[in-house]
Amino acid sequence: MMQASLVARFFKPLASLKLTIVCLAAAMVLIFFGTLDQVHVGVYEAQLRYFRSFFLFFSLPGSALKIPYFPGGTTLGAILLANLIAAHVARFRFTWKKTGILILHSGLILLLLGQLVTSFSEEESQLQLDEGQTKNYSESPYFDELAIIDRSQPDSDRVISVPASRLVKGAVIPLPISGLELQVDDAFENAALISPNQLPSPSYPHFRLGPMAIAVAVAKTYKQDERNEPAAAVSLRQGGNVIGSWTLASGFPQPKDFKVSSAPYSIVLRPKRYYRPFSITLEQFQHDRYAGTDIAKNFSSKVRLMDPAVHENREALIYMNHPLRYAGLTFYQAGFGNNDHTTVLQVMKNPSWLVPYISCGMMTLGLVIQFGMHLFSFVRKRVIA
Amino acid sequence: MTLLVAVAFMLAACHEEKVSVYRIPKEDNQVSMENGSGNLAPPPPANPATWTKPDGWEEKPLSEMRLGSFGIKGTNGESVDVSVTSFPGDAGGLESNVNRWREQVHQPALEAERLADGLQRETVDGVPTVLVDVQTAPGAEKPSRILGAVFRTDDRTWFVKLTGPPDLVESQKESFMQFVKSFHFSSKGETTENPPGKVKSTNDR
Repeated sequence: MMQASLVARFFKPLASLKLTIVCLAAAMVLIFFGTLDQVHVGVYEAQLRYFRSFFLFFSLPGSALKIPYFPGGTTLGAILLANLIAAHVARFRFTWKKTGILILHSGLILLLLGQLVTSFSEEESQLQLDEGQTKNYSESPYFDELAIIDRSQPDSDRVISVPASRLVKGAVIPLPISGLELQVDDAFENAALISPNQLPSPSYPHFRLGPMAIAVAVAKTYKQDERNEPAAAVSLRQGGNVIGSWTLASGFPQPKDFKVSSAPYSIVLRPKRYYRPFSITLEQFQHDRYAGTDIAKNFSSKVRLMDPAVHENREALIYMNHPLRYAGLTFYQAGFGNNDHTTVLQVMKNPSWLVPYISCGMMTLGLVIQFGMHLFSFVRKRVIA
Repeated sequence: MTLLVAVAFMLAACHEEKVSVYRIPKEDNQVSMENGSGNLAPPPPANPATWTKPDGWEEKPLSEMRLGSFGIKGTNGESVDVSVTSFPGDAGGLESNVNRWREQVHQPALEAERLADGLQRETVDGVPTVLVDVQTAPGAEKPSRILGAVFRTDDRTWFVKLTGPPDLVESQKESFMQFVKSFHFSSKGETTENPPGKVKSTNDR
């Protein structure tokens, strides 16, 4: 009895119905403003800022300090989840009459949990292939990485990937190789590449990438069909000595070679890569049109999937509503280019993709049972009367 | 409850993406460069220019933007460097490129008209070619000379540049001209509807 009251005392504030109402109201406000802001920052950035964040932040002009002012989707979801579970622990007493409610709430808990898992484990990338080309990696459409590649081993390369979000002017990033440090001398979140004679004035923020190209700072873009391409001037230091300095741009991802104690290395700023233990070759891309018109009828990519570890070597045809599913990844037909000789496949990794289907099924079943029982007893009472 | 909010605050405040390390199968440098996400210079046409290397020129590894790279060693440790590069369009224009070479040998930039007077024009394999010869002023601390050739095909500009100490460059002038005249352009201007590197969504109409 003592134990039960302790549990109840602990869960009671968390199980409060007022908390549920406050969270639901806050979620409505969040969804309203998050949806409006999509006009300014695009769908993906709005998702990150409003729905996949712990808090919404604002910064005072000229200050780097971020001050939270409203709970984000992750926080609200987590509180609602805790609220629902606590309510069950503190108040719920099982009776057969409440089976429907139990199934319904379990479905809701599963849905919230699944969404929480998705927001941390989902991975979205793109695989761009020319006909005949093979790749064992896909690239992020949103994020970039500064990759330092250790090529000293004969059979494999070691990649040290620094997220581009860490490339902030003045930052010093320790690297997990032979006491190396990466110093960021300057960085642009988004840069355009121009030829030297197009530079508006010598004082305009820019880096010289080579004799023919200059990277100039441009405003961050949120447009759906554009990508931010960062640029950075970085130096690698070892024990206080500078090994080398480079100017790099993600829009021109050419690796630059250098040596650390005679071991060959490369450095490159490029779209973030996700390597796979298998490879995909584009055998043929097809863009069918309706006869006599230029209207697209069908896009399809004939690819060859090769996974030597499990002796997988097969052809697959990817077209609308027929993605290729392999190793927990789904490859959808997403784009094309290069006069129909290049395909773009959207690569999705979402380990909990089945959860919404299962939880919606559970919630439907719960509602049918609950209302069914009410209907059944109502009908029975009328019959008796 | 307070604890939960505090933890969430801390998680939010400390959020910083981590440096990650992973191993990948050895990849050909060339493959890793084949990256479609918006290259500055779309790769040269499938069949780029071909050329014949003069005797005595040593091939050097290709780096950065070089499609051809050679070295010639002189006596007393001096050497000459030769590079072949190619860029889409006019690559910033002839004037700015020649003035850039002039700056490299500490010569002042010239106006388009005066610049044009000092340039030699030829035709190589049917492609208009401009020959450049610039060097540091007499008595310069570190004398240097540049021999250059700029080919303008319909869609690209090609640069051949030979740099080194004036005497050694002079001894290579004949080989340089022989090299420039050996250029053969298999594609003199092929415009494509969608330039490589640009992709469209299948949702676009």
